Amino acid sequence: MDLATIAIAATPAFLASAVEFVEATTIVLAVGITRGWRAPLVGSALSALTLALIVGTLGVAIVTVVPEHLLLGIVGTLLLLFGLRWLRKAVLRFAGIVALHDEEEIYRREVAELRAQGVARDRWDWIGMIVAYKAVLLEGTEVAFIVIAFGAKGVSAMNAAILGAIAAGIIVIAVAAVLRSPLTAVPENLLKFGVGAMLSTFGVFWFGEGVGAEWPGDAASIPLILGSFLLASWLAVRLLNGLLPEGARVEARNV
Amino acid sequence: MSSVMRAIWDNTYGLLVDDGQLAVGAIVALAITWVIAHSGADIISENSGWVLLGLVLALVLANLYRAGRNARRRIG
Repeated sequence: MDLATIAIAATPAFLASAVEFVEATTIVLAVGITRGWRAPLVGSALSALTLALIVGTLGVAIVTVVPEHLLLGIVGTLLLLFGLRWLRKAVLRFAGIVALHDEEEIYRREVAELRAQGVARDRWDWIGMIVAYKAVLLEGTEVAFIVIAFGAKGVSAMNAAILGAIAAGIIVIAVAAVLRSPLTAVPENLLKFGVGAMLSTFGVFWFGEGVGAEWPGDAASIPLILGSFLLASWLAVRLLNGLLPEGARVEARNV
Repeated sequence: MSSVMRAIWDNTYGLLVDDGQLAVGAIVALAITWVIAHSGADIISENSGWVLLGLVLALVLANLYRAGRNARRRIG
């Protein structure tokens, strides 16, 4: 497989994982800045090991043991459910019905909570380690799920998905390490919109393949399916904007 | 042990389901597609993927419309 093909195959996992890494990094940053870096870094490393174990055992076992048609059906179902969850929330956010995801606000809240708990400098910071471990594990489970789902098509797909997720992790962590602040410049809400549509697209495509449907041009149908999801989402945002009375959007948030 | 299993279940459920009706609707759409793919004529079976896409798009629009109506009712 040449570099361009690997890059294309790794892109969906890269984008989806980047969103999760941004969220995990916000929490780890909050812990590191308020309580010192040793404990959250150890917590994050332990969490990364746990996730590597999950992908290494579950992912490889799934790809090598489960028959391909059954695997596509299962992965298609999970991807569709996962993707629709993201897409629905993204549409509701863009329509003003649910508050936009705000990394700055999450960071401030986390810092305030961690400061309130106090730090004993002479002892090992278990709170800092556990908070970082849980945050990385929680967001990382979604990354593991994404990698397994996008990599389920075979060994080369799995390698590309792992590569995409690792690249996303390295870039997000490197940028956060340089900036030492939450990555508010990342258009997270827009990314979630695109990723939700992308995950749903792969869910429909792979479930269809799993039950024996013929997609014209095989993978060439993917942009058409993706376009349909984006068009439906755009229509939904317009529909919701029309439903809510003018000026009521802010009041409608968080309902 | 049961609290660990409960936490794993809660996390897995939360990972896949935000709105119960949307999730159930998606499962129903997948089941309809599976039935069509396995019981219809070849032409229908081969195009079952497009049936799934149509069902899911209709489901998304209907679900979001319901969410919008609920929001409007709460504001009013």
